[in-house]
Order: sequence, then structure tokens, then C-alpha cells
Amino acid sequence: MAAELTLRDVSLQFGGIKVLQDVGFVVEPGQIFGLVGPNGAGKTSLFNCISGHYKPTSGTVRIDDAEVQGARPATLAGHGLARTFQHPALQLHETVLENVLLGGHSRLPGSPLGWALRTPGTRRAEKAMRTEALDLLERNGLAWAAHLPADELSHGLHKGVELCRALLMKPKLLLLDEPAAGLPHAEVETLIATVRRLRAEDDVTVVIVEHHMGLIAALTDRVVVLDHGRTLMEGSAAEAQSDPRVIEAYIGKDAADDAA
Amino acid sequence: MARAVDVPAPSLRQRPWVRRAAPLLLVVLLAVLPLVLPESTNETLARIGVFAVAVLGLNVVMGYTGQVSLGQIFFLGLGAYITGYGVQQDWNVVLVFLLACLGAALAGLVVALAAARLGGLAIAMVTIALPIVGVPLAKRLSDYTGGSQGLSARFADAPEATGLYDDQWQLYVVLVIGGIVFLLTRSLVRGKFGRAFAIVKGNEAVAASMGISPYRYKVLAFTIASLIGGVSGFLYMFVIQYTSPETMSFGHSIELVAAMVIGGAGSIVGSLLGGAYYVLVPELTNQVDSSLTALLQGVVLLAVLFVLPGGLASLVRRLGRGRRRLRAEPGPGASPTTPLSTAGSATATEEPGTERRGHA
Repeated sequence: MAAELTLRDVSLQFGGIKVLQDVGFVVEPGQIFGLVGPNGAGKTSLFNCISGHYKPTSGTVRIDDAEVQGARPATLAGHGLARTFQHPALQLHETVLENVLLGGHSRLPGSPLGWALRTPGTRRAEKAMRTEALDLLERNGLAWAAHLPADELSHGLHKGVELCRALLMKPKLLLLDEPAAGLPHAEVETLIATVRRLRAEDDVTVVIVEHHMGLIAALTDRVVVLDHGRTLMEGSAAEAQSDPRVIEAYIGKDAADDAA
Repeated sequence: MARAVDVPAPSLRQRPWVRRAAPLLLVVLLAVLPLVLPESTNETLARIGVFAVAVLGLNVVMGYTGQVSLGQIFFLGLGAYITGYGVQQDWNVVLVFLLACLGAALAGLVVALAAARLGGLAIAMVTIALPIVGVPLAKRLSDYTGGSQGLSARFADAPEATGLYDDQWQLYVVLVIGGIVFLLTRSLVRGKFGRAFAIVKGNEAVAASMGISPYRYKVLAFTIASLIGGVSGFLYMFVIQYTSPETMSFGHSIELVAAMVIGGAGSIVGSLLGGAYYVLVPELTNQVDSSLTALLQGVVLLAVLFVLPGGLASLVRRLGRGRRRLRAEPGPGASPTTPLSTAGSATATEEPGTERRGHA
């Protein structure tokens, strides 16, 4: 059950600085949606408004029919939202499997007392979640690493583990914060394949914040380009790449003229 | 693949009959030991059990959840006072036990609801206040606490039917109650809640994005720590049979933190070792030179921290891992924390609260 994400007139101010001004778009269920723009355009701020880390000064953010602007991140997980971080934050001394299992937290039943007593219910739930987590790792080519401590894995693999952790939440809406940042080319290819498979196999809406235009072009159905906190254009990735306003925003007006 | 390596040389500990027999053996050992040991050893072991439980509680909030608490001794004191008062009023001892647990848990909950909201080091600051307020409070409320005189309660005489000496009876009670608390906590800090506590300690932003409210889990951890503190207070009264405002002085609270760090933060075995440290080291340093007790303790503290930053438990863990690496089979289910089972049996004489599977 992929979710629909609707932003209407979202603005964000820090003191006198207008970080976002009247940004609005609709991400339809099951879409892979890109959020692009040059450094400082407000992508991450907008991302944080959706994930609950910032509260928009005005405007609304809706997941399906629920207005969620200003809700705490922990509450948003209950609306089916999951996210990854730009710098994967894993428990480095724990095994990969334990890291992924964290994503199953909200779906595991039982009280602290029940878990302390290891009631049959909690043991069954833990076992089932373990199977599910191993299955996710398997599908993402990480089954071999399940029982290794996370700190023995590379940065690129951490991103994969983090994605599995987010997927174990069974999200309806998945936010990926610069998934390609710091990855060598070969691993970007793997990432693209992973997200594509995600769309085919899991019923989830994906929003990607990214600089890497190759990844955006390869994956997204639709993009919004931000510049100076405003929507510059909305359309397909191909349209964005050929739009003179986008080129200008990325490489500056003079350079754009030269290129033309 | 691991199994293929496993077949020719199965680790002794991985063999099914060893896994089943070891806890049984340990329980039998712990059941027999109090009968054969001299009285003074039994008493020392019982005291170690009491403080191991207190350190365990501290570990839940500080070692596992990463919230600095400097007030754990307050909950031990509260549990002890509730127990002492209840016994003097001739209440049923089971009721007294429950009141000691719930009273401490409730106090912890109230403190945590306020302190955890402030975040960061505020919890440490608020918890400093607990023993500082607790001591004069215990002196003032002399109708209930006996004021500076303290409160004594004799309710730990061995029932005649058992034919045991008092010290044996006390050690058995500590072993059973402490053992149950240790086993329950051990299960709690694995699985769902253990992972949640660990991520609150590790990265609150990630915790929140997983639907884990850092605030609620800090409050939960603190409440559980207080509850376990209450249990240790009951056991304290059971074993020592006397409490005074001095019991919950700030100095003792700090010693408890030091014991937890030396034993090993975020470790079940570490809590046992911490309890042993708390009781044994002052006794040993006293024997060396009573005027240098504090100084010698400081030396021990520094020495342990320099050589073993992860506490004594990391030594146990390292030995276990080294042995496993020699056998070259990690074993699919074996997480880095599994050496517990060897740790328990290797140091059984020092760790009364451990591994009483049969009774849990």
C-alpha cells in the first residue's frame, strides 16, 4: 500500500532567512520521485520537513490523508514513513543482522515484561522477524554479511544495510537522503538496481534527494528542481536536464550562455 | 558453510549436551556451595549479590541506554527503607517485597518523566540531586525511617523447617531473587527492547526514525533501573538487616557507578563483576592499610580503566573470542555477547546471582 505524499505551500524560515518558500508538489503512490538542486537549494531542509526533523513555518505536508507537518519523527514512522541517512548511522559493533532487526521494532508486539519473560509470543515474533530480515539481506545480496559486525563492512555496504533496515519497517513511503553520496561508480550501479527492484517487488513510494544526475535520470519518474528555496521546475528527469533554468542554476548564468 | 567447518571439530561449548548440562551444573553448584562454605564467605557472597543487582539496574539505564545516572543508590535506599518499615509494621513479606519494587519504580518514573524531557546531561544533574536530597529526607522523616539512628529489621532468620543456618538461608534467597532478576534483565536487553535501548544510546535521530521515541525509552530504562534498585534495596535489608541515611550517601552512588564501569558497562557479567568489586575491593584495601583505603581504590580504578577500558567483562569476552577464533568457527547464532555461559561457570564462586536457569 504505497502512500501519496502531498506538499502544499511549504515555507521554512530560520530567523530572517527564508530557506524554503511555497514549495508544493504531489508524489503519487508507487512513484520514484527525485528532489534535486544545487548545494544550498533547500533540498535537505525540505527533506527534514517531510521526515519530521523540522517543522515548516507554514504550509502542509500530507501522507495519504493525514496532515503530518510538525509531527515528531517517531510518530511519522507510524504513518508508514522510513528514511535513510546521508551518513549511514549503524551500530558498528553489532552484527549486520542486529542492525537490520532494529527496523522491525514497531512491528514487534509485546511489553517489556513479556520480552523479559521470553513469552512464546515474543519468541515467535522475534524468530519470524529474523527470518524476514535475513530474507531482505538475501534479496539485497548481503546474506553473507548477516553475522559480521557492521564495522567490518565498507561505506557502500553500510548503505545497503541501512536500506534493509528501513525496508524491514515495511514503509509506505521511503525517503533516501543522498544514497549515492561517497559511492564509487560500480556501487551506484548496484544501488540503482536495488531501488529498481524495490519498485517492482515492494509496494512503496520513494523520494530521493540526490546530486548524482545519473542516478536521478536512471531511476525517477518525476523530479522537482529546487533553487534558493523555490521550485524551479517540475517534470521528468530528462526535461530537467535540458531545461535552461536548471542548467543556469547548476553552473551559473554566464557558463550557461557560453554553453548555448 | 560454518557448519562444514563445525563438524570435524565442534567447540566444546557448542555441543548440545554441554549447552544443556552447563546451566544445570551451575545451578547444582550454586545450590551446594552455601552448604559447604564458611559463614563469613556466605555473608560476603550475599552482599556481592545485593550490589550486583544494584549495578545491574544502573547498567540498564547507563550501560545499555547511555543515560548517566548518579542516583542509583537512592533507589536501593528507598527499597531498603520501604522494606524496613514494612517489616516493622509486620506486613506480609511478599507484600513488602512488591512495595519495595513498586515504590522505587514509581519514584524513578516520576523523576525520569521530568529529567528525560530535558535531554543530554540533565538526567545526570537531576540524578545527582537524588542522594543529596535523600539523606536529609531520611533524617527528617524519622517517624518512618528512624532518623539518623536508622532502621533495623530482622526478618531473615532461616525458617526452622529448612534446617539451614541464617547465612545459608540469606544467600539462597539472594541467589534466587537475584538470579531471577539477572535472567529477566538478560532477556530484556536482547531482542526488541535491547535494540531500542542501544540505538537511543547510539543515535537518537536514527532511533526516532525507527519509531522509537528516545524520550519514552529513556523513561522506560530509568524506571526499570529504579525497579531493580528497589529489589536490591529489599535484598540489602534482608542481608544486612539495617539501613541508615548513610546507606544512600552520594559517595556510595559514585562508587556504584565506578563499580559498573570497572565491571563493564552494558554487560550482564560486568554487573556481577561490578558487584564483586564494590564489596571486595574495599575489604582488600582495608586489609592492606585502612588509612589508605580510598587511595588504593583509586589506584585500582585507574589501573583497570587503563588496561581494560571496557571493564573486566571485556577481558572475559576477549578470552571467549580468542578461544573461538582458535577453533575457527564463529557459529551462525553466536553473537559477540555469547561468552556469557563460560563466564558464568569460570567465575561462579564470585558471582552468586548468575545463571540460575532451573529456578527461573
